[in-house]
Amino acid sequence: MRRSPAFEAFRYAAILLACAITLVPILWMVSMAFKPIAEWQATGADLTWFPKEPTLDNFRYIFGESGSNLIVALDRTAAKPILSSLLSASLGTLIAMAAGTSAAYGLSRFGAGGNLPLALIQLRLFPPMAVMIPVMMMWSFLNLMDTWWGLALIYGIVTLPFAFWLMKTFFDDMPREIEEAALVEGCSRGRVFWRITLPMMRAPLASAALFVFILNWSDYLIALLLTTREWVTIPVYMASLSSSMTGQLYGAKAALGLIAAVPPVFLGIMIQRHLVRGLTFGALKQ
Amino acid sequence: MTAIRLENLVKRFGGFTALKSMDLSIGDGEFMALLGPSGCGKSTTMNMIAGMEEPSEGRILFGDRDMAGVAMGRRGVGFVFQNYAIFTHMTVRQNLDYGLRMARSPKAEIARRTAAIADLLQLGDLLDRPASGLSVNILQRVAIGRSAMMEPAIFLLDEPLSNVDAAFRAVMRTELKHIQREFRQTMVYVTHDQLEAMTMADRIAVMDHGVLQQVGTPLEVYNNPANVFVARFIGAPGMNLLAGVPVEGAEGLRIDLGALGRSAVLDAPLAAAARRAKGGVQFGFRPEQVDLVAAGAGLGMTVGFVERIGARTIVHLERDGITAKAVFDNDTRVLVGDLVHLAPHPGALRLFDAATGAALREV
Repeated sequence: MRRSPAFEAFRYAAILLACAITLVPILWMVSMAFKPIAEWQATGADLTWFPKEPTLDNFRYIFGESGSNLIVALDRTAAKPILSSLLSASLGTLIAMAAGTSAAYGLSRFGAGGNLPLALIQLRLFPPMAVMIPVMMMWSFLNLMDTWWGLALIYGIVTLPFAFWLMKTFFDDMPREIEEAALVEGCSRGRVFWRITLPMMRAPLASAALFVFILNWSDYLIALLLTTREWVTIPVYMASLSSSMTGQLYGAKAALGLIAAVPPVFLGIMIQRHLVRGLTFGALKQ
Repeated sequence: MTAIRLENLVKRFGGFTALKSMDLSIGDGEFMALLGPSGCGKSTTMNMIAGMEEPSEGRILFGDRDMAGVAMGRRGVGFVFQNYAIFTHMTVRQNLDYGLRMARSPKAEIARRTAAIADLLQLGDLLDRPASGLSVNILQRVAIGRSAMMEPAIFLLDEPLSNVDAAFRAVMRTELKHIQREFRQTMVYVTHDQLEAMTMADRIAVMDHGVLQQVGTPLEVYNNPANVFVARFIGAPGMNLLAGVPVEGAEGLRIDLGALGRSAVLDAPLAAAARRAKGGVQFGFRPEQVDLVAAGAGLGMTVGFVERIGARTIVHLERDGITAKAVFDNDTRVLVGDLVHLAPHPGALRLFDAATGAALREV
């Protein structure tokens, strides 16, 4: 179909606008991360798109080296929050994927747990705020408050429905005959799952895990309520980057934000090949 | 080598009965085709033989052994699926020797059999290629090879050639027959393609709506269909069936075909069979077994449409809402709109009871 030039112009304008809305804030963050204090301060004399004097001061600052031109020293560095985020999001993803994949496989293949889909949806029906107070009480009772493993547990529970639903769709799309073929060859049920099903599901597993990881990685609310000091995560720590004297420490926040973007981007690139296949899994020739 | 016996086999899925009752004996080393339209219960029967489904009623015996409760991995069957079911995360070789590796066969034995099968199915050059990305023709050959590797006593094939292209299908028909001769297995072959059943099978079991309609050699099924379903289903085009009423006359018994007039006098055994029909009969003859005769004789019908398919010409005929087909050589001169007169070959007539659809056999 040939489109009119006016339509083409409109189409590209719309694409550009969409890109700008998405990308400009990210560019702004990257630029900010490398600006010296004078350039990002709200009272800064000259606001610029790109740092005039690029510096790593912001990164040094959040890791404890208070530069000469930064006013207050932080009482905590970003190192432990980064560790906390990495540990809790990773273990949480592992929990959700392990439980979700098993449940999805059982339901998809054997019809086991027919109530599971609805039961799991309930987890998403309540606004998180409504359940967080009881969760805080339980976590406090279990001595899980302010620990990364306590966070990991709740992350695993909260993202379980996503892992379950994604994996169930993928299992439903995988032809049963492949497993039956292995069974006819004398393979046991357990072996079929480990040697045939899971290896063939690598791509969907990887994309589902990435999705769940990003959800856990970017959580703010749960971490805010379940951690207080020792194991706060990146988002919570970021919110604390302000002082009465300087107001918001935009440069430090931008630097931390840049660091926080690394793991998901890195993972995304690592599994890029699988990601495309995972997202188009259902469209494969069967 | 194992014979298979199905005794009073029934399969229900909830309220739906997929297989109403099936009794079938498949001889040791026999090639049996289960033939029927989709939904006739042929795949269900096959899945029960393989052990993927448990029968609701009845028994499956391999030789004298009742298979109830025997897991599919222990039945000694090979199964080839319509959609190949290839392990795409493995190489062709890993697919082929998967079962033997599971069974922990000696390495030398695995290598020997892999080489033999690869040679037989011309997979030698592809052995170390990943299975993903191979063409469907090759995938299905790998799937057949993978099952053949286990040298199963019983080889089950569920529409293995439906997804491959026409040229390759013709090649595989010969190759499958060749494999069966080589290994002398009992083969059960599910298909909706009568050409596959006719060319490969020793016997054909024709099924419809969960009921076994007829079992016989390809020629028996073609020549002497047990009922109107088999008569219509087998043959391309199927048998002509015209509603008629037996009429006694001075010379003998004829069939009154309404607007088409009356048939020739039936020979004595067929006439005896026709007399046993309670009401009317279905007057059947193969489209291939008719001659054009001069006006005044035979059944007069108008040519509605002419299909020329190379060696043969299929003529669609019509008269007062009654339709029939005739197949002639490609040089037969018939034109659309012509009134032609047909006479079925004397030995080609088959009669069916109009009420029950069952064949009225000469006794």
